[in-house]
Amino acid sequence: MTQPDQQAIRIKKLFRKTRFGIFVLFGAIVFATSTLSIRTVSSQLQEEYESNSANIAKNIADSSVDILLNRNLATLQSLIDQFVEIQSIRYIYITSDTGEILTHTFVPGVPEVIREGDPHATEPIERSLPGMGDFVEVGSPILAGQAGTVHVGMDLDLVRLKIQRATGQQIALICIILIVGVLGSIWFVKLAVTPLEELLSYVVGLARRDADSLNDAKVLARDDEIGEMARLMLHAVKGEVSGAASNPGSGTD
Amino acid sequence: MIADAGKERVLSGSRKGTQPSDGPPVPDRDPARAAPPPGGLLTRRSAIRAGLAGLLGAPFATSLGASTRPLAPGLRWSGRQGAQPDDEILLGVSAAFSGPSRGLGTELYRGAMSCFGQINEQGGVNGRRIVLKLYDDGYQPDPCVENTLRLMLEDEVFLLFGYVGTPTVTRVLPLLKKFQDQQMYIFFPFTGAQPQREPPYGEFAFNLRASYGQETAGLVDNFVRIGRRRIAVFYQADAYGRSGWAGVRAALARHGETIAGEATYRRGTQFTSVMRPQVEILQEASPDAVICVGAYAACAAFARDAMDLGLHVPIANLSFVGSENLLALLMDASSDDPAYYTPWLVNSQVVPSYEDTSIQSVPEYRNLMDRYDPQVPEELVVEPYDPFPYSFTSLEGYLDAKLLTEILSRIDGTPERGKLNDAVFSVRNYDLGIGERVSFGPERRQGLQSVYYTVVEDGGFVTLSDWEAKFGLDATTNDGAP
Repeated sequence: MTQPDQQAIRIKKLFRKTRFGIFVLFGAIVFATSTLSIRTVSSQLQEEYESNSANIAKNIADSSVDILLNRNLATLQSLIDQFVEIQSIRYIYITSDTGEILTHTFVPGVPEVIREGDPHATEPIERSLPGMGDFVEVGSPILAGQAGTVHVGMDLDLVRLKIQRATGQQIALICIILIVGVLGSIWFVKLAVTPLEELLSYVVGLARRDADSLNDAKVLARDDEIGEMARLMLHAVKGEVSGAASNPGSGTD
Repeated sequence: MIADAGKERVLSGSRKGTQPSDGPPVPDRDPARAAPPPGGLLTRRSAIRAGLAGLLGAPFATSLGASTRPLAPGLRWSGRQGAQPDDEILLGVSAAFSGPSRGLGTELYRGAMSCFGQINEQGGVNGRRIVLKLYDDGYQPDPCVENTLRLMLEDEVFLLFGYVGTPTVTRVLPLLKKFQDQQMYIFFPFTGAQPQREPPYGEFAFNLRASYGQETAGLVDNFVRIGRRRIAVFYQADAYGRSGWAGVRAALARHGETIAGEATYRRGTQFTSVMRPQVEILQEASPDAVICVGAYAACAAFARDAMDLGLHVPIANLSFVGSENLLALLMDASSDDPAYYTPWLVNSQVVPSYEDTSIQSVPEYRNLMDRYDPQVPEELVVEPYDPFPYSFTSLEGYLDAKLLTEILSRIDGTPERGKLNDAVFSVRNYDLGIGERVSFGPERRQGLQSVYYTVVEDGGFVTLSDWEAKFGLDATTNDGAP
């Protein structure tokens, strides 16, 4: 058998399902990992931002007591202005024990939703403020609520964007792993297929009694299972040939 | 970098964000040089002024700093306790020389320098020239804090003077408390806010002007007296705005009223900004009057849009607004009728009118402004600004400098910060020349208490004498003008 003839023989069917299986398996892993990752990262980041906002509200509440009792609202405004520069914190307002908004960071004015809201609320509340966006607001009582309540609004759109970025990065990483995995699997399959193709070519040569194939040192020299099978087949073919030569009348009865 | 230029001591530096901190000496730079004046006589006036300054012994002693240069880590006090060189007293200034409120820093500086120019020309205070170390903070708190640290730790100024604004000063006050063992004081900041007037920071500041509480109380009392009880507030969303808001709230509470409506704007808003949302918010409250607690650019924009949108009620501004700057913007905005946007304006002032030459200090101030026409050093000029020959702000700067000079002259021997309290508290019934005597004491850290009210007539501010006639509910004409 000539070299071009050998190249023409390809094992196409044997590993087709294997490749498909690998792709499906990796796809399933990516999907499951991504879904889990998105849920985990999303909830963890959301919790983290809420926790940060709650901490900021508590810090302001703790440091506001004297200022509030001294009725020094300018200093209080100066204090909250510094915190509102922190990323994702979009507004802060402080209500008195009677519910009056004493200081805030809203421009051009305090939204109606805020005015009508519970001035003493401390549990996280999701708010949609017209013209401003969606927010999660957390509150912290000042002097156990006797001096008022600090409210910190966290920009949900910004948090969502950050979550999208974080999960997007994870998905991108997983996709890269998928592609590398699939390509690697194909390469490993190819490693397994190549000697099988050589064996197949050899066997075809044997069947044709091709002299070149009989003496194909490359496949016969292999020290793996392929080499053993090639040698076994050669042995079988040679036995058949020598048997036929020593008993020429057989089969003619 | 220090350079001796004849009789003038000049530290070369740069303005915020533009030039390196250490430049070559500029011995021929005249700090009293002219900015482009109306009329285009820059070259001749500059030359005349430079020549005059030289002849007078260069009375304007100003040095500049670069506020963008990072502070050296681990800066500590030198331990000199503010001891000054034999021939000068160095005052530290951080103010708005750039940005939309640059007119305030510029005018305050001009007024102060007109006084210091004369003092230096006459030999200084007890033989020491008064030198100002200038930094630009653009009316922003963080640069102001950095400038102040630099002034205290690097430049080792004797005291802080000529600061502009509540959001800036309120952030500096904790620094003074932090370094209270160094007895650093801030003198006569251009703000009427409460934090530097009461504990825990009041002991580090001396104020000359009346407070925002006094200004807003006066406005509210007058409005209520003429039947305008529904008062809304338009204010800057920061410590300054909150201070004024709190003043209005407290004053209304004394009349059994609450704030009818409120709208805010961000610090740094330009005159070109649209204030329609703020006007609409206040229109919903149907106020009888609006008190603005802001800077001139934003307040002028609000007054313009209020007039255009039909909010025809008195619009009051506090002294900090910079009345002349506000008026100039509004008059320029309506070329057909310069008075179109101004009939409802009423501005409170903490100094008397600079047009009233019957007041002793006014002709002094006007003469010195005419004589020296001080200008902000070129290195600090980021955007063009045409100063006013006279203004309420520069008059306040002049009075600040006049009183500080008096206090410095009362320090026995070598100026040390430890002697400042006694020198200030020795000021009792001092005649500043404006018809109100000034006294200080451990429990009295504000010199003046008077508030004046002005309205616009014939393109200028005049004293408002009859509120009922001007803004009474029956005084409104059919076309909406009072």
